[in-house]
Amino acid sequence: MKNKRLNLLLIAVVTFVAAWSLWPTWRDYSLSKQLNSFGSAQDSLKYALSHREDIEDARKKSLKLGLDLKGGMHLVMEVDQVDLFEQKAWNKDAKFAAIMQAVRAKSTQTDARVIDLLVAEFKNENIRLSRYFYDIRNSDQEIVGKLEKESDEALSRAKEIIRNRIDQYGVAEPVITTQGSRKIIIELPGVSDENRVRNLLKGTAKLEFRLLREPEMMVRTLDRINTYLVDNGAAAHGATVPDSSAAVHAPLPQSGSTPTQPDSKSASTKPLYDVIGVFQNGTAYTSEHTKEFVSALLHRSDIQALLPPDTELLLAAKPDVGKTGEKLYSIYLVKKAPELTGGVITEAKATFGSQGVQPEVLMSMNSEGTSKWARITGANIGKRIAIVLDGAVYSAPVVQSKIPNGNSVINGIESLEEAKDLEIVLKAGALPAPVRITEERSVGPSLGADYIRAGMQSLAWAFCAVSIFMLVYYKKAGIAADIALVLNILIVLSVLAGFNASLSLPGIAGIVLTIGMAVDANVLIYERIREELAEGKSVVSAVTQGYDRAFSSILDSHVTTLSAAFLLYTYGIGPIQGFAVTLMIGTSASLFTAIVVTREIFHLLLAKNLMSDKSFG
Amino acid sequence: MRIFQKTNFNFIRYRKIAYGFSIMLLLAGMVSLVVKGLNYGIDFRGGSEVVIRFDKNIDVGQIRSVLDAAGVSGTLKQYGMDRSFLFSTVFQGDSGQLKSLVSNALNDRIKGNHHEIVRIDAVGPSIASDLKWSAVKALFASLFAILLYVGFRFEIKFATAGVIAIFHDILTVLGLFSILGGIFTFMPLEMDQSIIAAFLTIAGYSITDTVVVYDRIRERIRGQKPSEYERIFNESMNQTLSRTIITSGTVLLSVFVLFIFAGPAIRGFAFAVFTGIMIGTYSSIFVAAPLVYDWLRLTKSAVHLRGSKIS
Repeated sequence: MKNKRLNLLLIAVVTFVAAWSLWPTWRDYSLSKQLNSFGSAQDSLKYALSHREDIEDARKKSLKLGLDLKGGMHLVMEVDQVDLFEQKAWNKDAKFAAIMQAVRAKSTQTDARVIDLLVAEFKNENIRLSRYFYDIRNSDQEIVGKLEKESDEALSRAKEIIRNRIDQYGVAEPVITTQGSRKIIIELPGVSDENRVRNLLKGTAKLEFRLLREPEMMVRTLDRINTYLVDNGAAAHGATVPDSSAAVHAPLPQSGSTPTQPDSKSASTKPLYDVIGVFQNGTAYTSEHTKEFVSALLHRSDIQALLPPDTELLLAAKPDVGKTGEKLYSIYLVKKAPELTGGVITEAKATFGSQGVQPEVLMSMNSEGTSKWARITGANIGKRIAIVLDGAVYSAPVVQSKIPNGNSVINGIESLEEAKDLEIVLKAGALPAPVRITEERSVGPSLGADYIRAGMQSLAWAFCAVSIFMLVYYKKAGIAADIALVLNILIVLSVLAGFNASLSLPGIAGIVLTIGMAVDANVLIYERIREELAEGKSVVSAVTQGYDRAFSSILDSHVTTLSAAFLLYTYGIGPIQGFAVTLMIGTSASLFTAIVVTREIFHLLLAKNLMSDKSFG
Repeated sequence: MRIFQKTNFNFIRYRKIAYGFSIMLLLAGMVSLVVKGLNYGIDFRGGSEVVIRFDKNIDVGQIRSVLDAAGVSGTLKQYGMDRSFLFSTVFQGDSGQLKSLVSNALNDRIKGNHHEIVRIDAVGPSIASDLKWSAVKALFASLFAILLYVGFRFEIKFATAGVIAIFHDILTVLGLFSILGGIFTFMPLEMDQSIIAAFLTIAGYSITDTVVVYDRIRERIRGQKPSEYERIFNESMNQTLSRTIITSGTVLLSVFVLFIFAGPAIRGFAFAVFTGIMIGTYSSIFVAAPLVYDWLRLTKSAVHLRGSKIS
């Protein structure tokens, strides 16, 4: 008897907690319905203001909808660990570059850990890791440990920086998590400007101030590259010079020193100058059509070997417009080692420049940066310093005087929106290694509404079909099963709401499936009771025996379903996890609802003599 | 109401026919898997998918020619709902680029019929291989977990036969996916993440019916001579037939609802679970229990089942 009262109490508590946890969802729903019902926007605003706390509270605690139902963006980004490890290495030579190349190629094909690939590759070549990493005295194992730690730190730092960027951009309730050793999963509900978000996220935001080399040096370097290309034949490297006659020919009005009369057939005599033009003042540029090609060319290791030591050729981030309206990208020869990096930036602000039309970003530095910047600018008056962000030159102003206050400016920005985004990424700081988007799913709000409708319809129909079947097949006992089923659905939803998990379309599918599976326990019990009744037992003892004897197979079937759902949750990602979660909650809840709840109902009915051997159909 | 009242089928005697049927089913699937292969969704092969919805009715051919002219190659199909189309392509660059490419082409060439890009998915190749591996790992881990659990609850012969039956169910569904893949426009039957979820659901659920039969056999086999096994197996299966059918029936009912109402994104999943559960019910009667019977008969040993008292 005592046990019985305990069960009743348990049922009451569970029902109460479920209702309590779902109350804000109901409140949220009815409040927004109320808000929409007003005739004028004024009334609705007035109502919203007077009930503000109520509305916000309900919204915060209500059942969240997943990205697919609400509309939004789901991104998976990968931290480029190969790049990270390259940064950590020293003593880099051609051999090292070749090894890293191989590692990179493999890492895009398998999901093996980059560090393992790296170790395997080094072992293949019979080179100790310590030749390039850390201390020569370190064993391979120590180095692997250190690199692992580096990459873990890089991942969590990248996650924080991305979170910063998103927070600054302003997305309601973003979810940012890491997965495995190199993935960051980002969920952004209700994002409409996908392009902007993508650009905001994918940049490394590595800001550098680099000294420009003398123009004469660049001209000489370009000549050397040209000669090299002639000797080796540009095509021999699998590179084909794009048909440039239209692209470069036109915008070369004042070019003098170098031959710049490209002829698409003459690629063999001056292959470089087919794609690059040089002004008399020694600045070089390439046009929009040939930019990709030039950029690829400059990244080739054989070309890089031709550059003067400690220098690099970089392209401009934004084009200048030539006289004929052609877009021209400048090419800069800069020192490889930056004078100063973005780490010293403390504040960034997007604004309009002195003429009031050109957007720019003002930056200020910390005290260390300020004193360094003063020294650098003081020592290089009259020279040019390039402001480089993620390997592209934004501007390369001539230093007019020593700058003592740690201020600097990025200009050459197209729109205020872009300046704002730059402000965000500069404030959030640079990523420890480049990231790239490997998976992207976005759902528009209208499709989301369709999904909700489809999901609700499935829920309603499945519930009707199953509960009516139980009533028809098991008569009075079916009522108990149906009550249990309602409670089961309530429990699933309330657990989701209570743990701040969100409901997605696969999640709804999980609930629908749960509806079909939850009554299974009742079917097993009722069938057993029917058997006991057929053997001529009384209703009371048949019910007791039925519950006792069916329990073992009910437990077994629940355990197997639960373990499969759990593994699905562990190995699956994104949408599938939502399905696994609802299936797990539903299956566990049905152990309680289908066994404890229905049994209590029968006890009550039996006590009131409302059950007979006809009650089980 | 009762569907099966006091049945008396001799399942064990006809088991060889069932074995033959199952082997045929599996062979057909295997042949199709080798010859035709599977229809992989972007989850597993990488690439991009765009769902475009138009305001007014429009012919697939018209959109196709517009996209072709714009130089975006890929396949275009009607997508479940009204006036919606699924365009899938191997394009793996910036999905913003793809979106504007498609959007501009449609805006320029198809006047007076506004369109909206309602969904865009892009999956890189490394993710795709990740997903494939996790899927395989999850599936085998769950089979192993079930083997252990059933082995612990019953006996290793029962557990092995149960897991073989699950294998049978999943391979049959996989074969069906290969055979029927791409035939129906309303359900392309592509292999994607949701199908993996379906397989795991089938694995977890298929054993349910098997366990119910096992449970009855365990209850009745205690202290019996091996010569009685055939009778006991048959009686156990007949006694549990009704509940086996009905438990599966309620699940089939709700999965059928999913298939009809939940839209094209869930349809492949619903199809897989539906067929999987049907085959799972069949296999728990015609594959799992008969296999145990044959195994016991061949080893000629009495069973020592766990699960102490009759409860």
